[in-house]
Amino acid sequence: MSLHRSTKGLRKGQPVPTVTIDGKKVEVEKDATILDAAKKAGIWIPTLCYHQAVSSDASCRLCMVELDRGEWRQLVTACNYPVRRDIVVHASSERAQQARRGVMELLLARAPESKELKALAERMGVMQTHYPTVTESQRNCILCGLCVRVCEQIIGQAAIGFAGRGVDRTIAAPFRQPSEDCIGCGACAAICPVGTIKVRIHQDKHEIEISPFKSRAKLLVCQECGEPIVSTQVSEQLLRKSKIDWEEFRERLRFCPKCRKSQSAARLGAATVYKKQ
Amino acid sequence: MADEDKLIEQIVDRYDAEIGMLIPMMQDLQAECGYLPVEHLRRLSVQLKIPLSRLYAVATFYASFQLAPKGAHEVTLCMGTVCYLKGAPRISEAISREFRVEPGGTTRDRLFTFQAVNCMGACAVAPVMVVDGKYYNGVTPASALDILYGLAKDKATAENENEI
Amino acid sequence: MTLLSHRRLSNFMDLERMRQELLSLRVVLTKSIHVCTGPGCAAKGSEKLYELFCEAVENADADVEVQAKGVGCHGLCEYGPIVIVQPGEIFYQRVEEPDVPEIFRETILRGRVVDRLLYEDPATGKKAKKAEEIPFYKVQQRIALAYNGLIDPTKITEYIAQGGYSALAKVLSSMTPDEVISEVEVAGLRGRGGGGFPTARKWRSCREAKGSPKYVICNGDEGDPGAFMDRAIMEGNPHSVIEGMLIGAYAIGSEQGYIYVRNEYPLSVERLRGAIEQAKELGLLGESILGSSFSFDIRINRGGGAFVCGESTALMASLEGRPGEPRSKYVHTVESGLWEKPTNLNNVETWANVPHIINRGGKWFAGTGTEKSKGTKVFSLVGKIRNTGLVEVPMGITLRRIVDEIGGGMRDGKRFKAVQTGGPSGGCIPAEHLDACVDFDELTKLGSMMGSGGMIVMDEDTCMVNVARYFTEFLQKESCGKCTTCREGLAQMLYILDRITKGEGEVGDVEELGNLAELLEGTALCALGKTAANPVMSTIRYFRDEYDAHILDRRCPAKECRGLFRYEIDPEACKGCGICLKNCPEDAIAGERKAPHVINQEKCTLCGTCWEKCPFTAVLKV
Repeated sequence: MSLHRSTKGLRKGQPVPTVTIDGKKVEVEKDATILDAAKKAGIWIPTLCYHQAVSSDASCRLCMVELDRGEWRQLVTACNYPVRRDIVVHASSERAQQARRGVMELLLARAPESKELKALAERMGVMQTHYPTVTESQRNCILCGLCVRVCEQIIGQAAIGFAGRGVDRTIAAPFRQPSEDCIGCGACAAICPVGTIKVRIHQDKHEIEISPFKSRAKLLVCQECGEPIVSTQVSEQLLRKSKIDWEEFRERLRFCPKCRKSQSAARLGAATVYKKQ
Repeated sequence: MADEDKLIEQIVDRYDAEIGMLIPMMQDLQAECGYLPVEHLRRLSVQLKIPLSRLYAVATFYASFQLAPKGAHEVTLCMGTVCYLKGAPRISEAISREFRVEPGGTTRDRLFTFQAVNCMGACAVAPVMVVDGKYYNGVTPASALDILYGLAKDKATAENENEI
Repeated sequence: MTLLSHRRLSNFMDLERMRQELLSLRVVLTKSIHVCTGPGCAAKGSEKLYELFCEAVENADADVEVQAKGVGCHGLCEYGPIVIVQPGEIFYQRVEEPDVPEIFRETILRGRVVDRLLYEDPATGKKAKKAEEIPFYKVQQRIALAYNGLIDPTKITEYIAQGGYSALAKVLSSMTPDEVISEVEVAGLRGRGGGGFPTARKWRSCREAKGSPKYVICNGDEGDPGAFMDRAIMEGNPHSVIEGMLIGAYAIGSEQGYIYVRNEYPLSVERLRGAIEQAKELGLLGESILGSSFSFDIRINRGGGAFVCGESTALMASLEGRPGEPRSKYVHTVESGLWEKPTNLNNVETWANVPHIINRGGKWFAGTGTEKSKGTKVFSLVGKIRNTGLVEVPMGITLRRIVDEIGGGMRDGKRFKAVQTGGPSGGCIPAEHLDACVDFDELTKLGSMMGSGGMIVMDEDTCMVNVARYFTEFLQKESCGKCTTCREGLAQMLYILDRITKGEGEVGDVEELGNLAELLEGTALCALGKTAANPVMSTIRYFRDEYDAHILDRRCPAKECRGLFRYEIDPEACKGCGICLKNCPEDAIAGERKAPHVINQEKCTLCGTCWEKCPFTAVLKV
């Protein structure tokens, strides 16, 4: 789902909007968010489900800030609030901080075993949660959806998605079977902010496994030394997407980076060097 | 294989392959098959060119979709506020106890699928139970069980007749 | 009727001519039998009554000019099935199959009233011949429900004869889109689905938004438990919705509309489908409507079974073939909605009001209601009240009038405790506030809201903590699960309420509920989450003593929560008949015949069977 942006208030030639955030004034380009402004102003706002590579859903509710509406203040999410005119934002007010702390406490109750989440919480000043863990399904997943979005929007496979609704919602491959569309690239594991998705390499079977989705993919192994390089599907996608017909490219893919380097070194060493007369 | 393709093609054509009509398409599929079979969903994903994960997300989000075969009869008990206040939970418990089926599930012998729904809009005659589209109003635990025993009896009679 | 049906109306004069022809036909058929086939009466078998009446009409002598028709919800569902006979508007209630021949013989053929089928006022014993003599109807002012009960919703000719589509003709022949919006603005119409947003403002914003095509949507996903107003309109007068949408689309500049009907209303889908087909046949939908340059088409989409799809952005996600997840509304849907195009969404009842506003003028509409809440509102009045059903009353009427005059007071001699308004987004209003005026703003000040119009009356036997638990569980089941706050926050609230109703509440629970409520209101993504704590907070506000009893005394004052009260047999009332003993699933009752029986508290699982079965009301809740 793309960001819903409107350029209604910003036309060519009109001055760029100014965001006054915690007293600091910054100018931002059109379509920017409050989070962009905060970054520019050097103000840290904690986020979880936000990543610049994919669209922002604002589902984690962690980046709450107060938007000044004159007579009252509205709590909004910084990562997807579009700036279309001059606004005043209070990111460090008591109410904004309290809101963020409350959300973090709920998250800690949901994902009690995540080290990354605890670290983020501590940075926010939340040392523990007073809520009990009451949800049973898919512990340690905070349902931020980053894995789903990266697989769909960047990798283009959409191998995993949301399943179910409400408190029993989970992230799963269709029919909870190992996904046929998974190419074992590990992007989901890389983007997961709480360390729930893990990549496991099974040396003996030359397989890569992404847990908890149970997807397995065969790994390409180095023809020289036998080390696993990348999944076969990823290498096939690479060849397909990069449209390089260069035979040597195919050759080189069969070797791991270390062996490739030593091969290049050997080739260089064997090359005849002509000295200028 | 061919049958599945044909049915899916029919359904997709009916709605001009419009992705926005995905839910009506899945409703038509369920009306035809009684539930949403895996293979049919795969075909649908291919024909519409949308990822299977999206179809699965939609199938598991909406309460009316079933991914497993339903029972011979469809029993729906309203758990809206008024029905609730007038004793619907006791009726639900009684049904669960007698037939060993939880709301959302199907009895072992596939006699009926039991659904709890949040309000059917007939609040004036609560509690309401619907069996195969027929409304029963003002039900009690006893009368609800009677109705369901009737279904079992019909099945037994039908089976006997088949045997003869 | 071949000269009228299946003939495309090519201009406004055609429509007028058609109406005149229909009206002249009506003069001939003076006698008619209207059988209510609305949701409440249909559940009591009124469709069979309709069939029987049709048979009677068929078999009558040739010189008897009479017709039978099935009509939409009259409102007084408690006394259904309802049959109204013309001439005379004779109102028969609780009609059963054996009554059909008698009604036909006495009233149709002999012009006599069947006394025993008339409504009798429980307080005065007075019989009412016409609907307007019944207190339930006297206070009402029917605009959205105006034609319910008068017309057969499956025939467009009935709607046209009544004056239907004349507002559309007026708009297309003599008003500009801006003039239409101004008229709605003068009327002061506000959204009837719960949000109460000024309709004219929404239309204007959508009209001015950049982008095309523009879409117009009717939200028929009436999900509030206890509410069936929209159902009655969609099934009883579907054309009113279609005409409203046509007028709105013209004003906004849209050519494509959608009606989203919740999955649990298949009859509404059927009626709307039939209505759209008939409208298309006559050229009232489609290209060049009534000979003008305005074209508009409507599609119907059924929901998949999700309460959250009543939220506008979730509804639009559903129309895009996605799970019904709401999205942030920092950019409004009138600018970027369905398929990221300008979209105007309104509720069924809102649309149904539009033709009347055009026909009689915005000023007329604004003459009813209060300063900020103009017009009328349809409520579904249900629960422990004598007269349950649908009512349409002017905004500003007090709760007391609705409960007492229209509702007829509490049933079974019980005491009024609270009225729950606004569905799961609303709250409970206690007796001390019965004089509050019902409109968009008053009830919100009291911690509830008017919402879509559901009004559930509760009596002294209702445990308010359990009510809070019920709504919280409902919302938790229906939450889409996207945002942390709603998903986890409601789970935490439910956990606390479960403990309290099981007698495991702790000091500090009420305060914790308050903290969670604040978090929900401030950080939830959509209106479902933002208002989710209202049922809990309003019950804490007015019924704190019940919470305290549960937590501190482990006692449920209303004697509803299992484990927090006991069953005991009153030895004075017990006749020793043994029915309780025989039916007890735990063999927990002992006693000799004709001697008072006793319940063994240790074995008792509080199933309540003995309490239900005792013919002498000797089993007490203690």
